[in-house]
Amino acid sequence: MSDIADGQDHQLDPRVIPLHQVTSSISLVVIACVSFAGLLIGMLAGDSRTGAFRIGLLLLWTVLVGLGAWHAFRWPALAYARTFYRVDEQGIEIRRGVYWRVVINVPKSRVQHIDVTQGPIDRRFELGTLVVHTAGTDHAKVALDGLEHGRALAIREHLLPSGAGDAV
Amino acid sequence: MPSEQRLHPASLVFDLARHARNLALPAVLLIFGISGSGGGPGGMFGGIPEGWEAWLLVLFVPAAALSVSRYLTFRLRYNERELVIRWGLLFRHERHVPYARIQNVDAVQNVVHRLFSVVDVRVETGGGEEEEARLSVLPRAAFDEIRSRVFSSRHAHPGDPGHVEPPDHAVPAADLVPPVHPVLLHLNLRELLLFGFIQNKGMVVIGAAFGVGWETGLLDRLTGRYFADGSLGRGFFRDLFRAVFGDGPQPVASLWMALAGIVTFLVVVRIVSMGWALVRLYDFRLTRVNEDLRTEYGLITRVSATVPIRRVQTISIRTSLLHRWLDRASVRVETAGGAGDGSTAHMREWLAPLIRVEALPQLLEQVLPGFDYGAVTWQGVHPRAFRRAMKPVLIVLTVLTSLLAMASGWAALGVLSVLLPWLTLSTRKHVQHLGWVAGEEVVMMKSGWLWRQVTVARINKIQAVSMHQSPFDRRAAMARVRVDTARAGEFSHRVDIPYLDRHVAQRLADRLSTAAANTAFRW
Repeated sequence: MSDIADGQDHQLDPRVIPLHQVTSSISLVVIACVSFAGLLIGMLAGDSRTGAFRIGLLLLWTVLVGLGAWHAFRWPALAYARTFYRVDEQGIEIRRGVYWRVVINVPKSRVQHIDVTQGPIDRRFELGTLVVHTAGTDHAKVALDGLEHGRALAIREHLLPSGAGDAV
Repeated sequence: MPSEQRLHPASLVFDLARHARNLALPAVLLIFGISGSGGGPGGMFGGIPEGWEAWLLVLFVPAAALSVSRYLTFRLRYNERELVIRWGLLFRHERHVPYARIQNVDAVQNVVHRLFSVVDVRVETGGGEEEEARLSVLPRAAFDEIRSRVFSSRHAHPGDPGHVEPPDHAVPAADLVPPVHPVLLHLNLRELLLFGFIQNKGMVVIGAAFGVGWETGLLDRLTGRYFADGSLGRGFFRDLFRAVFGDGPQPVASLWMALAGIVTFLVVVRIVSMGWALVRLYDFRLTRVNEDLRTEYGLITRVSATVPIRRVQTISIRTSLLHRWLDRASVRVETAGGAGDGSTAHMREWLAPLIRVEALPQLLEQVLPGFDYGAVTWQGVHPRAFRRAMKPVLIVLTVLTSLLAMASGWAALGVLSVLLPWLTLSTRKHVQHLGWVAGEEVVMMKSGWLWRQVTVARINKIQAVSMHQSPFDRRAAMARVRVDTARAGEFSHRVDIPYLDRHVAQRLADRLSTAAANTAFRW
């Protein structure tokens, strides 16, 4: 427990980069397929449009999907480079954001409960998401994904109130 | 004292009346729809099946059966440390609400309630979207008992909910609460009328009346009767517009008439608003009972709300232009309890609908002991905040003007020449009126130029502290510090301080989170 609350800035587990590349690629493929199907149906049904317009639409679709693919491939590394967390005796601090940066500080004494979740793809990478719940409004739920699962569990143990007298 | 309390028999009446009303409204609209639309038999609904009254009955009977079973099975019990309610015939429910978790206890008493001398009680805790217990309806004495049990047991050992003495069952409720409490604020007739005038809720009332009139077809009949000759018909304003911007002789008489009409309308709206305030907040009084603030108000529907002082999360003080001319302010408090944006909760949170500015520090001192509002020294934001604030405004304005220029040519410049000075002025004033204070007990923030707001958050109620930096902020080496408190309303004013120097922001965020971490949060 004490080695978790070291007061040092830590980066996430590097495996979060391939994880996010995989998850964003999956959602990109789904969106691309659905939008392409929509485009196709629209073209087959509508007959008043000219050929140039159709080619333009297809080009636009290709460009958007290309941008999406670039984003899915590049963004996880950028986000990884700008995400840090620190756990100490006081609580947890999370810093993130590539362009719009946020530092969220949740004191240990304000933690209501904590979830550690792990999806099917997370399990493949042995990662988990730590979700800290507070009684607040904007930060009622502070999530930190891309932690090694065991580490997420250790942070949970550290942040949860130990004595019964701490209860709200 | 019986160990178990049942609902008042009148509960059945109220419950049935509620179901009847829920069903009656659609029924009435249906009938009006049939008779009013006049489109032959069946009206606009195109032929309602015969015997639709029977269908309404089909809906009404199960609801009524549920009400009866609820009334018969509902029990309320006071344990040492919790309120226990039980209900249900087939599915039995038992809910335990610890006294120490109760945020507030409200009671509403409308005219019919008063006839039976009963109250509709709501008990709220921090959790969930709804009230924890809705006791509809209880005898008046039972409400007093709940209130005294919940609050007195807690005051015995405020720091330690684990060692609450069982409340003495032999002592009648009336004796637990001493009859005389200091009245912190009482709104007399003049203040109520002023409140109505400032608040200007007249449009809401008139709007509602208009809606009902239109829905029931009453409005058509009225206008048909009075304006049938066409002298002041629907086309009045249209004709006037045409005449003013046309070539013909200027219709001076009509113009005056229109102006008088508009002025009369505005005056009427204010007067209606004053009437609304009088009915809604009649005899508003705020009293301090031990460690709780108690508000009571209402002419027809009497509301009584109790908010424990230590449950107050934030206090906000609002002043509009009218407030400042009249030297008044409005104060409301936010607690973590209940549904947040519901209208009753909204009204309940008025600590002082209207208060003289001189009396403000005294009132705040009651809620935050040792806090002197008069001695606060505000800190401004970064000296270059105006330049920083104008950048996004200019970018948006440029994009907007170019888009407009593409659509309508040179006219876009006209829009720009109006918008640019206005936005510059309002941004300048906005930045000038920003201010913040971080003391030992509280953190405060003020903002607003015409409508000013001050929010006071207690440090031991801070849930999380965050610091935000947009790309603009980073270029200007600034940051925004945001303080999150429990269950703030969607649109309520928060402590959210923009345009701070990055280092100042960092220090402030660190200080607040350290201070918050070192205090135990007790809802």
